[in-house]
Amino acid sequence: MIEIKDISKSYGSGESRCNVLKGISLKINDGDFAVILGASGSGKSTLMNIMSGLEKPESGQVIYNDMDITELSDKKLVEFRKENTGFIFQQYYLLPNMNVDKNVKMGADLAGNKDYKAIIDAVGLGEKLHKYPSELSGGEQQRVSVARALAKKPKILFLDEPTGALDEQTGRQVLDYICKLQKEYGFTIIMVTHNLNIAEMAKTVIKMNSGKLSEIYTNKTQKTAYEIGW
Amino acid sequence: MRLGGDGMVVGISIVSCCAVLVCTMFLNFYFDVVSIKNEITSELSMAFYNAQVSTAKVVCLVSGGCLLITSVVMLLFYIKHYIDIHKKELAILKALGYSNLKIAKNFWVFGISVLIGTATGFGGAFLLMPSFYELQNEDKILPEIAIHFHPSILFYFVVLPTVAFAAIAIFYACYKLKTPVLSLLKNDFHQSCAKAKKRSDAACNPSNRSFIADLKKNTLKSKKSLGFFIIFASFCFSAMTQMSFSMKDLSSEMMGAMILLIGLVLAFTTLFLAITTVINGNKKTIAMMRVFGYSHKQCCTAILGGYRPLSYIGFALGTVYQYALLRVMVDIVFKDMEGVPAYEFDFPMMLVSLAVFIFVYEMLMRIYSEKIKKISVKEIMLES
Repeated sequence: MIEIKDISKSYGSGESRCNVLKGISLKINDGDFAVILGASGSGKSTLMNIMSGLEKPESGQVIYNDMDITELSDKKLVEFRKENTGFIFQQYYLLPNMNVDKNVKMGADLAGNKDYKAIIDAVGLGEKLHKYPSELSGGEQQRVSVARALAKKPKILFLDEPTGALDEQTGRQVLDYICKLQKEYGFTIIMVTHNLNIAEMAKTVIKMNSGKLSEIYTNKTQKTAYEIGW
Repeated sequence: MRLGGDGMVVGISIVSCCAVLVCTMFLNFYFDVVSIKNEITSELSMAFYNAQVSTAKVVCLVSGGCLLITSVVMLLFYIKHYIDIHKKELAILKALGYSNLKIAKNFWVFGISVLIGTATGFGGAFLLMPSFYELQNEDKILPEIAIHFHPSILFYFVVLPTVAFAAIAIFYACYKLKTPVLSLLKNDFHQSCAKAKKRSDAACNPSNRSFIADLKKNTLKSKKSLGFFIIFASFCFSAMTQMSFSMKDLSSEMMGAMILLIGLVLAFTTLFLAITTVINGNKKTIAMMRVFGYSHKQCCTAILGGYRPLSYIGFALGTVYQYALLRVMVDIVFKDMEGVPAYEFDFPMMLVSLAVFIFVYEMLMRIYSEKIKKISVKEIMLES
């Protein structure tokens, strides 16, 4: 379980100081599919970055299995990320000089995962193992980044607007792959989005507004990627 | 157009300065010594004269040529690098309707860095010339050699390179700008299809190497010119340090000190520029590795580790080069001269030079590894 206690974060100083997060507390259970929903500038990405250990808060705690990761040194944080987290970004951030196989290997090697090709097959890219990112469509690139994240067998998968750069059909396809793989592997999903429809796929929805939590609720039924609007 | 960014322009100026300094000094001396040929009467003086003329030619051709090639490669690399990091802006200009030539014309300013370097080198050479002339003829074997100003040297070493480099910059930029607007607009984290396709066949054989080993190999392959600069830097360090001490019996202390200084300046400038470019070019890769949980050591190994063998190759080449050059000087250029000391390969000096090189290189890598540590993951993400 991830527990966040009274997290605050601000950028800038003096008059230009901007309080991005104002005392946020919440809990996310293992195996949950949580969506952090909010408009641009609401602080949702900063919250995700703090939850994943990419950024440190000014105050508050992020407790993961009784360990406060805000207290960890940079070295320990790297170890934490290595053992627990996977990331998928809107911009994919694939390594341009490496083919699909090697990009996925980036995640697989960290977990000593020799069977990572099964994940490439699972995201439907088995035939494109030797293609470079520039030779793939946006949707395919995002599926490589999904495979790369899952090849390291994460306990928590963080996704930052994973469909933001994709068209509707491809976006649905990518979300469908992620959901199917979650059912198979049982990891926790924490996804940041501004798309209200995607929130219908989640179990837990965390709404944010101006650096504060405005609402947290649980969906009684979770829709599939093909059932939601776009 | 604004130059700068990673100091490559300064590097071009430094290399041009060193090239022109060495060439101007020896060529000016060559012209002045040739002008006193008719005043030479004795056989000993003529042999000494011939040796001095040959030395000036060899130094000009070998050192000047070597440095000139490096300046050209560095300039082309810098223009390519400049276009790569500014391709979005250039694409917008193209999309707005500016012609390739109109955009490329602005690249003439690269000639300024060459002008600064060559002019400094030219001026520096004239400052050093009185002592240099005195040392070249310290035993007064030749008649008094007066320093003359040769306008042709100014033209060939300052004016011509400036114009030529400005023209190279414009034509190369024009050639690179032939890329379609949409390809230029693509995020630089993507690669051109053509380039990727070229490699895909080679990459089709699945490797059993680890990701780190693959990335190390890829980093090296993706920018071959940087490999050249690393080899050149270690070559300069090795050749110039060994030469400056090995030729102490063959030449003056001043020459030795000058060679050592030029070698160190060239080595450190080139190494600094090359490694800075490697790190800047791989910031996103390093950031992603850290996001995924790769340790700092693994990041450094993948990005910088591949250059270590190249630096040793450069050192070995430099050792061979300096030995061959001194051997040629002693066996061919000074063969008719009496009292020229015997020259043998200075093995202890090579070992000392190698030890200093390893120490300096590893210290630099440590400094750069700290630079890698400071790369902010958030900053990289916000850049995109």
